[in-house]
Amino acid sequence: MKIGRKRKGKAEIPTSSMSDIAFLLIIFFMATTKFDVKEGIKIVLPQAAQESSEKVETITLTEKEMTRMQILPDGTIVINKESPREIGNPELDALIKQKLDINDQMIFKVITDREAKYSETIRVVDRLKAANAEKISLSTN
Amino acid sequence: MAKIKKERNNDVNIPTSSMSDIAFLLLLFFMVSTVFVQEKKFWVERERWPIADSIERIPRNHTTTIYVMRDETILIDDIPTRIESSEDVFVYNTLVSKKTEDPEVVVCFRTDRETKYGVMSDVMRQLQDANALVVAFESQKRQ
Repeated sequence: MKIGRKRKGKAEIPTSSMSDIAFLLIIFFMATTKFDVKEGIKIVLPQAAQESSEKVETITLTEKEMTRMQILPDGTIVINKESPREIGNPELDALIKQKLDINDQMIFKVITDREAKYSETIRVVDRLKAANAEKISLSTN
Repeated sequence: MAKIKKERNNDVNIPTSSMSDIAFLLLLFFMVSTVFVQEKKFWVERERWPIADSIERIPRNHTTTIYVMRDETILIDDIPTRIESSEDVFVYNTLVSKKTEDPEVVVCFRTDRETKYGVMSDVMRQLQDANALVVAFESQKRQ
């Protein structure tokens, strides 16, 4: 007759590598997480004119105080009263710098035609922001 | 009589048994605190945004996104609308409620670069009426 021997070995799940697995998971999540921060050109719109407001001041601005930049449907730009022409980024930068040298508080009024491309307005606003122009007004005709 | 030195066999061990608990706690924290983007669809692909240099980073927690597609369809919270007359005030109504929920709301435009400016002007007029004045035009960074 066979006599059964009692086994003394305990059945254990090895947990020594558990922390390695957990840290690997953390590193994986940390490395693959992409924070969705939005990136764009920030602008603060003026408040809407209230019909009930009694005092509406009309101010006349000269060319030393305000530069009018009108964007036409074909992408050409009219600066103040000049004739419309295509203006590339380097020329636009130089022009904005020249205007800011005259007056660093210059107001830039960007008037975009309803039929003009949105990207053209963004291009002009981008160049204005890049030149640190602080007073930018957006409107349409 | 000379002293006989006893060899010490005590090993210095840092207890690592709770390491996995700490790691899993960290993992759980990241999993619980992660907030997933709520928009269901990316209506205007990033490649279609305008390109710009002077881009600012805008934290997501106070933003709401308005998509403006090339065919002048406007999408807020995945609901499409159009502005064809002064009676189309969906943008205004939505922004009024968003402004009430979060007074610091920043309206982010994801607009196709080929879109005509007229529709953007109409949307911005409704934003002004709703007093949601801080806007951002999302753009691709020039490479």
